[in-house]
Amino acid sequence: MLNFHLENSPFRNIILKTMKFAIEAEGISKTFRSGWLGKKRKEALKNIGLQIEEGEIFGILGPNGEGKTTLLSILSTLLLPDRGKVRILGIDVLQNGHQVREKVNISSGNANFLWSLTVKENLHFYGMLYGLKGKRREEKVEGLIELFDLNEHRDVPFDRLSTGMKQRLSLAKSLLNDPEILFLDEPTVGLDPDVSVRIREKILSIHKRGKMTILLTTHNMREAEFLCQRLAFLKRGEILTTGTPSDLKRMVRIGDLLKIRYKGKISEDGLLHAEGVVNFSISEGFCEIVVDDAEKRLGTLMALLSQGGTRIEKVTLGQTDLEDVFIEFAKETDSDMGFCI
Amino acid sequence: MSLSSLQKRLTQIWAFVFKNWIMTKRNVFSLFEILFWPVVGFFSVGLLTDFLKLNPEMSGFILVGIIAMSVIQVCQIDVAYVLLYDLWSKSIKHTFIAPVHLFDLISGAWLIGIIRSFIVFLLLSFFSHLAFGFDFLRPGVVHLSLFLFGLFLTSVIVGMSVCILLLLFGYKADVAAWSLTSLMSLICGIYYPISILPFPLREIARGIPLTYFLEYFRSFYGFGPEINHVLIYGFGLTFVYLIPEAFLLKRVLNRARRIGTLIKLSE
Repeated sequence: MLNFHLENSPFRNIILKTMKFAIEAEGISKTFRSGWLGKKRKEALKNIGLQIEEGEIFGILGPNGEGKTTLLSILSTLLLPDRGKVRILGIDVLQNGHQVREKVNISSGNANFLWSLTVKENLHFYGMLYGLKGKRREEKVEGLIELFDLNEHRDVPFDRLSTGMKQRLSLAKSLLNDPEILFLDEPTVGLDPDVSVRIREKILSIHKRGKMTILLTTHNMREAEFLCQRLAFLKRGEILTTGTPSDLKRMVRIGDLLKIRYKGKISEDGLLHAEGVVNFSISEGFCEIVVDDAEKRLGTLMALLSQGGTRIEKVTLGQTDLEDVFIEFAKETDSDMGFCI
Repeated sequence: MSLSSLQKRLTQIWAFVFKNWIMTKRNVFSLFEILFWPVVGFFSVGLLTDFLKLNPEMSGFILVGIIAMSVIQVCQIDVAYVLLYDLWSKSIKHTFIAPVHLFDLISGAWLIGIIRSFIVFLLLSFFSHLAFGFDFLRPGVVHLSLFLFGLFLTSVIVGMSVCILLLLFGYKADVAAWSLTSLMSLICGIYYPISILPFPLREIARGIPLTYFLEYFRSFYGFGPEINHVLIYGFGLTFVYLIPEAFLLKRVLNRARRIGTLIKLSE
């Protein structure tokens, strides 16, 4: 896995040359024009570069309207960039878009398909578009209906399906051609939490079965943390940073939260100079300490806190998740983030 | 092209036949398109010829025109539907993320259009014989087939024009699917010979293949064509339109990928 440490390694360039990437993008820019004679311009993407390994689940995080879908559309050949190079599985998207389309597929949140066609008919139609014929198509469609628990709804027209069912159909459709790269655009947007959880589990199981590369966009932090091995944070059309979820937490100095109940006295000075402590607050009998890695620091911290006869009564590990990272990244003033962009 | 890639292309073409067929089957409006509007239009015009006490040749002249127009309207709209259904369902990006060729898309839709419009033709020729004593088979099967083939080719030209407009202007252009044929009925001599048209319109009519196909078929009912070799002109002009249109369609699809139309139309 190409992780944060590798990205900072002096051997990065040598290692990258020997790696096989599913998606390589370099210097992608896109500006949309609107209004009279296209005078209104919106720069959607600015000089984007990405390298995604084969078999990886990579997430593009960011607030709404910051260019996530535009980037995904370019990588999936639906949109052409103004500048830059894109290679999908080594194939140049601009030169051989058709060849790329054989190997990729897309599923979007708020999915739309032909409204009068039933679940089964929609799958057959899109199966035919990928050249699946006869018994092979029949088996593929039946397999996907089974996989996504669509059996009860197989003869229901698309416009009568619930949002969750539509999303399942969208995922089923995206697997018709056994894609080597699957693009998921906000796969759980607008779904109830329980349905979202099931969809995420399904995505993970698809990934495990097919070992395909998955690129997903989301503004849901839990989703990103649950699914993605690496993430890129996109804001105002630029990638601010890439890394594993824990890399991102480390970057914005958000670590594990320890909640400690104690009897006695805790020295602020000791905590100020303790290794790995990012932040802390102390009140009567209770303190909260944010550390970079709770597992690594817990022993030293307990020893430090117990000095002078202080009795530790209870220690709990609080939840810190990417939500906090997202908030930090999405802040208006970039200089507040405490890392180099 | 290998056998397997040929089979794959045929499957992709069949996909659009399948789609248009199911959508037609489920949509009451499209049944009206085949059964209601052409029949109502046909009888209105047919009864008008009776009221005006036109002789059988003149009635035949008009009936050929109205039936030809109905065939073109139904066939071209199926070609246009291949994109219109996607536009209305906001599912166009799923079609164009698949490895399909524009040829597959158009030819699949055209095939179902030919079937639907042939049904319309059979129905209207039956009524024309029954109600007005007009015999569509008088020129013989070969000439009738050439005439119908000319109409089907004209339809694909009109349908592709609508598709080009849809990819250029999106939803705003869907009105073209119904209005282009009406415009043609004005200038191609559906209800009258083009010789009565004022100079500029007459020259425009001479640039449209349908004009020649109508002149060709009417020649079997006593209306000599104004120029010789009408069929050569008709088919020749058809290819003059089809080839640049195919290139143009490819260009506008590329433009749609460049400016983001496919994404906007899927939202």
